[in-house]
Amino acid sequence: MTALTGPAVAPRKTTRTREPGTLQQMWTSRADYLYVLPAIVVMLVVIAYPIYYTIELSFFKTPPGLQLRDKIFVGTDNYTAILTSDVFWRVTLNTAIWTFASTLIAFVLGYGAALALHRDFAGRAVLRAILIIPWVISAVAASYIWKWMYHSDFGVIGAVLVQLGLTDRQPNFIDNVHTVLPSLIVVNIWREFPFAMIMVMAGLQTVPEQLLRAAKVDGASAWQRFWHVTFPHLRGVSTVTILLLAVANFNSFIIPWIMTGGGPSNASHIWITHIYELAFGRQRWGVAAAYSVLLFVILMVLGYFYVRALSGNESREQGA
Amino acid sequence: MTATTETTVPRSRRRIDGWRWAGRIFLVLMLLYTAVPMVWMLLTSIKSGFAAMQFPPQWWPTQPTLASYQKLLDPQNSVGQDFLRFFWNSLFVSFCTTILAVVVAVPAAYAFSRFRFPGRKFLFFSVLLRNMFPAVIFLVPLFILMRVLGLVNTHGSLILTYLTFGLPLAIWLLKGFYDNIPIQLEQAARIDGATRFQAFLLIVTPLSVPGIIATAIYSFIGAWNEYIYAATFITKNDQLTLPVGIQRFFSENTTDFPGLMAASFMMSVPVVVLFLVLQKYFVRALTEGAVKH
Repeated sequence: MTALTGPAVAPRKTTRTREPGTLQQMWTSRADYLYVLPAIVVMLVVIAYPIYYTIELSFFKTPPGLQLRDKIFVGTDNYTAILTSDVFWRVTLNTAIWTFASTLIAFVLGYGAALALHRDFAGRAVLRAILIIPWVISAVAASYIWKWMYHSDFGVIGAVLVQLGLTDRQPNFIDNVHTVLPSLIVVNIWREFPFAMIMVMAGLQTVPEQLLRAAKVDGASAWQRFWHVTFPHLRGVSTVTILLLAVANFNSFIIPWIMTGGGPSNASHIWITHIYELAFGRQRWGVAAAYSVLLFVILMVLGYFYVRALSGNESREQGA
Repeated sequence: MTATTETTVPRSRRRIDGWRWAGRIFLVLMLLYTAVPMVWMLLTSIKSGFAAMQFPPQWWPTQPTLASYQKLLDPQNSVGQDFLRFFWNSLFVSFCTTILAVVVAVPAAYAFSRFRFPGRKFLFFSVLLRNMFPAVIFLVPLFILMRVLGLVNTHGSLILTYLTFGLPLAIWLLKGFYDNIPIQLEQAARIDGATRFQAFLLIVTPLSVPGIIATAIYSFIGAWNEYIYAATFITKNDQLTLPVGIQRFFSENTTDFPGLMAASFMMSVPVVVLFLVLQKYFVRALTEGAVKH
């Protein structure tokens, strides 16, 4: 660890002492860039260019066939069109519920499962493997499996509810404006809690065993040991996990798109599915691009916290 | 003071048991939540179309049949032909993506871990930021880009895009891995006359094989399951990958639930098997890389 901090600190000092150092340093470490060059080139082509293009498109009205030569400059019309539409606020509320509920519940379930799996017992490895499987299964397959389980005539969930006498007839989970979003969130959590579980499980291995034992000797209860030792140790992992989940949920597409396509009457449209429909369904490229730019701004704010959480981890690691 | 500690000791012991039971019950519930959909998928896939559409449902198939699987895997009929072709396309695209991701991510992660060139931090985080942005933002411009490059309706367009969204986590995981390999190993190799690149290729790379395996699994699963780019870039039927192919197929045959479940199962088998066989590397890479203090 000390060997790593050595070179990490040394060049930083030289940049501070020597003024024209940066360019010179870039030249002396030019071979270093060769290692990251392929990654950067791919990223530039596939990220920087699209971002530039999206911003440009958002100020134009582009014909449905995407003939770029015929686009007309319309200023901020696309943005006003979005902010004054009713659908926008509906979709924004859906996105907020979807992101918040999915992230929170998936994290809590994953955290709980990781804690419960931390103790050794027979069949633990098998159980852990089974719990991870939903995360590996394709979202398209997961959507179809759950769509079939929610089916309004032959769905197994409704059938169980009827057999237990909880309802008289098959409930219609995903064709109902009130139940569609919660039903989809259940599917989303099914796919995502394993990720939180893996991250927390990995974090749990870094909690020093001696501290827990010392706390036990001092008479701390299980809850006190968790709250005062384990929980603070997992704070870094938890922050990163929650942020990654939040971003993934904010950006999710497949589950709502395959299961409902945003319906009924926009009740399960979230930002991403709405943008997709605007662009590829109704071919309103300008409005879709303007939506993307707004999305981009929101993500930059989230990204700021993401980077801060990550670099917090990194500086802690270098300080250690 | 002594009196209170004496009373708390048995109480805390009772509490531990309470927590342990709560944990067990919680795990059983999670197991049900996780496993029931998968079990129902399997049970449905071995029913006949008629048996699947009954109310109340046949909880256990009375006449199990493998007809759906036979149909999907039979190269003689058109359904089987399509399915096998989609399967092969998915395999090809995922495999190429995985190889390329490893080739690109390994040197980049190594550089981010070892070298201290100016702009290192900025570049590292800009690579990570890629994870923040949804596919939809990139769809239209990338579609135009692919049209310019002449890659629309080819697997090249998919491999190129999958590469970029797999790279950030791959680089992040691998960097953590390299951080844990002692730098003295390379220093010793350099003293013995190896160049920096030789030290990297011959000393460090073999040691990072578990990290590379984790990266490869991640890339493969990501590419195998991707839907949105494939749905946009590929319109020709014979180039489709599995997720889109299955969606297209079953939007035409909406009531063939056993077939749909069999197809979902077959689509899940390669990634689940791959993950289960190699999961220890993946969890280890996360432990050593992403979340260490």
